[in-house]
Amino acid sequence: MDLTKMTNDRKLYLCRWYFRAGFALLPFLWAVNSIWFFNEAFRKPEYDEQKQIKKYVIFSGIGTIIWTVIIVTWVVIFQVNRAHWGEFADDISFIIPLGTP
Amino acid sequence: MYIKSSILFFLYIEINLILLSNGERTKDQMYEHFDGRMSCFRRLNATHQIGCSSKRDGSTGIIHYVEEQEDLNFILKTGSAGDYIPIIPTVLLKPETIKSLKNSGKISGIVIYNDNTKIPKHYSHELKCPNPRSNIEKTCDVPWNKHGTGILHDDVPFPIYYVNNEEDLKKIKDCFQKFNNFSYETQYTRSLCSIELDAFMHATTDTPTCIRRSNSKTNLNPVKFCDPLGGENVWASLFPIENVTAKNDAVHANNKKYIILATHLDTTSMVHAAYPGAVNPITGIVTLLATADLLKRMVKEEVQYGDNILFMLFSGETYDYIGSQRMVYDMEKDEFPMKIDPDIKNPLPLIHLDDISIFVELDQLSKNKQLFANPTDSSNNSRMKNFMQKLQNYSKSFATFMYGSQLPPSSLQSFVKGNSNLSGLVLANYRSNYLNNYYNSIYDNYTNVDYQYYNTTEDNTSEIPFDSIQYYTANISEMLARSLYEEVINKRYEGDEKPRLELIDELYNCYLLNPDCKVHQAIQRKKLGETPYNSYSFYVGVTVVPNLLTYAIGLTLGWLTGDIVATNKTCIGDPHIPVYQYFNMSRSLDNLNTTECFRTTMNFTEALSPAFILPDYNWKSNKYSSWSESTWKDLTVRMFLKPSAAHERFTIAIGSVTFIMSLILVYFVKSRSHILFVTPENCSPTSC
Repeated sequence: MDLTKMTNDRKLYLCRWYFRAGFALLPFLWAVNSIWFFNEAFRKPEYDEQKQIKKYVIFSGIGTIIWTVIIVTWVVIFQVNRAHWGEFADDISFIIPLGTP
Repeated sequence: MYIKSSILFFLYIEINLILLSNGERTKDQMYEHFDGRMSCFRRLNATHQIGCSSKRDGSTGIIHYVEEQEDLNFILKTGSAGDYIPIIPTVLLKPETIKSLKNSGKISGIVIYNDNTKIPKHYSHELKCPNPRSNIEKTCDVPWNKHGTGILHDDVPFPIYYVNNEEDLKKIKDCFQKFNNFSYETQYTRSLCSIELDAFMHATTDTPTCIRRSNSKTNLNPVKFCDPLGGENVWASLFPIENVTAKNDAVHANNKKYIILATHLDTTSMVHAAYPGAVNPITGIVTLLATADLLKRMVKEEVQYGDNILFMLFSGETYDYIGSQRMVYDMEKDEFPMKIDPDIKNPLPLIHLDDISIFVELDQLSKNKQLFANPTDSSNNSRMKNFMQKLQNYSKSFATFMYGSQLPPSSLQSFVKGNSNLSGLVLANYRSNYLNNYYNSIYDNYTNVDYQYYNTTEDNTSEIPFDSIQYYTANISEMLARSLYEEVINKRYEGDEKPRLELIDELYNCYLLNPDCKVHQAIQRKKLGETPYNSYSFYVGVTVVPNLLTYAIGLTLGWLTGDIVATNKTCIGDPHIPVYQYFNMSRSLDNLNTTECFRTTMNFTEALSPAFILPDYNWKSNKYSSWSESTWKDLTVRMFLKPSAAHERFTIAIGSVTFIMSLILVYFVKSRSHILFVTPENCSPTSC
């Protein structure tokens, strides 16, 4: 989809739905939303819907950051403790690396 | 005419180009490949991992050829060009060396070689007391294998490779002399001869972990990390085990007692595919086979007998008695000789631990003036004393028969654990320290038993000298056979059957020198010399790969204790009479081309530790052997010239600069494209 060919209310509609759908544990949607609509929200000349778009972009951005922190923390905890957790760690793994404890 | 000659000319050029051109790939020109099979690999038990592993894509190091300890110290001190792989003689493979190499941080692997001028006096990397976790109490108070370094049970963090080929060793040495062996201070500035050892092991930590991971249901890419060690036990009976017809009889055996004559089938060593095993286990195996052969001929005319004799050969005894533990387990679970199957009309009676009257185990039996019987604690009964007295009487001509004080590590340990009242003894040439200085190592080869092949026939065995291993083994088997004969027939043997020296000569030849020997031809196992290395060896191996040597030894036992039958034309056994197995085999050693149908009582049972069968086995209990072998993709070794660090940095710098320059170029071309590429104006893609 090309944002330049879209009407402003259509942009708002899209941005809003990307934001709402992100609540279904889909942080990547928020990440996409915040990047994709960044120019619309902050770098385009003002228009009516821009204020709302800006709001959704900011919230999506915050959500993305929170998720990133959560995921990075988990990855670090998991990688550090994988060997120590033994059976539990293997049970929640989809890929078990070769030749590592 | 002109065209024709020019075509001919081009054809000529083409053909010459094809003929003269060198189709070798650059990759193959760079590397010198060696046969990498003889590498150290990883094994696991319930709590530890032992052995070696390389890095994932192989461990690379600069070659440093070592002849003396000083050479090794020198490179550890002055080496400046990165990771090294010292090429050391076998003598230097000691715990101290491994420790100093580990701590130096400069070593990424070891290559060992055999220096014929410096054969070590002792070379055993087994523990001082083999199988410490599975012996009965106090067994390990004695350092049985007193020269054992225990390196086999170390977890070595780098790969070890054994180069046993003079040619390969010369290539390594030459390359070292040409590129590495001068001005060590400036080594880092030049290209150096390096070697890459790839022996990356998939399993880590311990057996429970790798078994669990192999069976993981959530793993998207299921991989097998390890396989349990194991194989097959071989057994046969001297007299056919009497069938029982009523089903109840099978459960409550008909009060028959059995004497067991046993030995083990396996050895081990530091590196894969090098398991000569001359003293341990070959002397025991050959003695058992020769005894079985003689006994069979001695009892030919006998109909009345007391106890029956079972010949048993256990697999995997080097790794916490896998085979004998399983045999005891089978006996306890009413599964030996076979599970009760309601469909079989004539099942074999079950044999239990308390049906064993005497257990005689043959351990290391290389030449020695003294012969030791090491009895179990409960052998203090009159029958046992009587039996040992017989052994003593029949040993007088060739050895001093003495009593040992303690049961050595042996298969009998597993049986005593199952039944502490068992009378039995381990017959060996040592009392409390192995005479074998090369126990479980690459030096336990034919020279260690002083063997020479004489290739004799039945009528002409005079070439074999009296002090040869052949005679020694023959004497022991005669002693055993006469004593056992008296034990089961209850009278002195008066016949004139003798051990067959030519058979013993041939058996040693089969196991020590030539897998395509006459005995293997006789049992119709041909071309064993060409089988892949991992399916024919005295190493127990893994249960998923059948060990052809175990089958060959089993068939040999069947051949020696079987009867020729003319009635069975097809030579196929009846599943309802499981006591007999039929095989087409040669009539005799001198008559290999005439095959007959042999009816044998030989059979195989699974030698897989019960730990891997019991669904909720507690690995921490240490009750059964838990050894497994890691899987690996490749064992490869290659040598190449590694450029200096400066050269490598230069190469990557040029590459990076080229890459960045091309990005810049593309950017400029794109931004000036309207100048560079003239496009027709007002032209939409559809109308152009």
